[in-house]
Amino acid sequence: MADWQKLVRQRLSNLALEGAEKDEVHAELAAHLEESYEAFCKEGLPEKEAVHRTFEQVADWRDLQRRIFIAKRSGHPMQKRAQQLWIPGFLTLILSMVFLVTLQRLGFNARIVSWRDSDVLLHAPWLVSLPFFGALGAYISSRAGGSRGTVVLASIFPALALTLAFLLMFPIGLILEWIIGRRVDFSTAATALLRDGIGWILVPGAALLAGGFMAQFLFLRRLDFRGTVRH
Amino acid sequence: MIGSGIKRGTAELAILSVLEEGPLHGYEMTRRIEAQTKGSLRFTLAALYPMLYRMEQRGWIRGSWETSSNGRRRRCYRLTPAGKKKLSPLRKEWAELFGALKRLTKVAHG
Repeated sequence: MADWQKLVRQRLSNLALEGAEKDEVHAELAAHLEESYEAFCKEGLPEKEAVHRTFEQVADWRDLQRRIFIAKRSGHPMQKRAQQLWIPGFLTLILSMVFLVTLQRLGFNARIVSWRDSDVLLHAPWLVSLPFFGALGAYISSRAGGSRGTVVLASIFPALALTLAFLLMFPIGLILEWIIGRRVDFSTAATALLRDGIGWILVPGAALLAGGFMAQFLFLRRLDFRGTVRH
Repeated sequence: MIGSGIKRGTAELAILSVLEEGPLHGYEMTRRIEAQTKGSLRFTLAALYPMLYRMEQRGWIRGSWETSSNGRRRRCYRLTPAGKKKLSPLRKEWAELFGALKRLTKVAHG
């Protein structure tokens, strides 16, 4: 019996879609061809004839490839972007920040951890929760058909937002210091930036990313139809 | 020759109509349409899937992978609320068009 997956993959090899989306199209079309072939066989056609009749359904694979690409990209790009990145990203950011504030109100405050002659401010209970928020962002983005890159961005969105805030705060702080006429100690500012960057960006970012990868692994494994579609 | 706009319109109506009865995967959809139209409407794979993907992008239908009782995984499509909403005016439009054509041909032959 023909390997329909392989045949479709060969014929639609230049389909310009991203990994998982492309695999889904291949699997879906292969399943359709397989059912057509089986129906022809049941009608009593010899195998060769059944394969021939099955492939007759597609006169021009290049044209099909082009039409599938156009159809898949016919949605509003802004709407897709919102569903795949902005909504899961902002949801992850808002939920993680609300949780941080709640923890602080409940008395769970950040602790200073000494590391190589410098102190880093870490909020352990919040950090523990971050993989779950990262996983949530990744899950929602994956459900909306986000690519791997978009899913990762959605999961680490709070860390990206904090990075942006830090990048804005630093020059604004310097300007304010300059306006009020205070001498700016760049080494102190740089040390503070590095210390807070580790505590509020790098470590939370890693925790969010871990959650994002976990969700991606679980979610993609559930969607991994490639191994099961053939019998 | 029937124009591509008319072809696409009838195809969309056919797909939405069969999906109104319940979720179906692509191959089953073509069988159902062929049977219900007594062979007048036939979809090849090449005609069906670009259409399904476009309708999915528009939010009229939603596809999801499901495992059948024989263990096969197939992408099943179902109508979304937007698709259900679209079906009724689409039916009305086509009924009006066919009614008008019928009246026209009666006048021409009468």
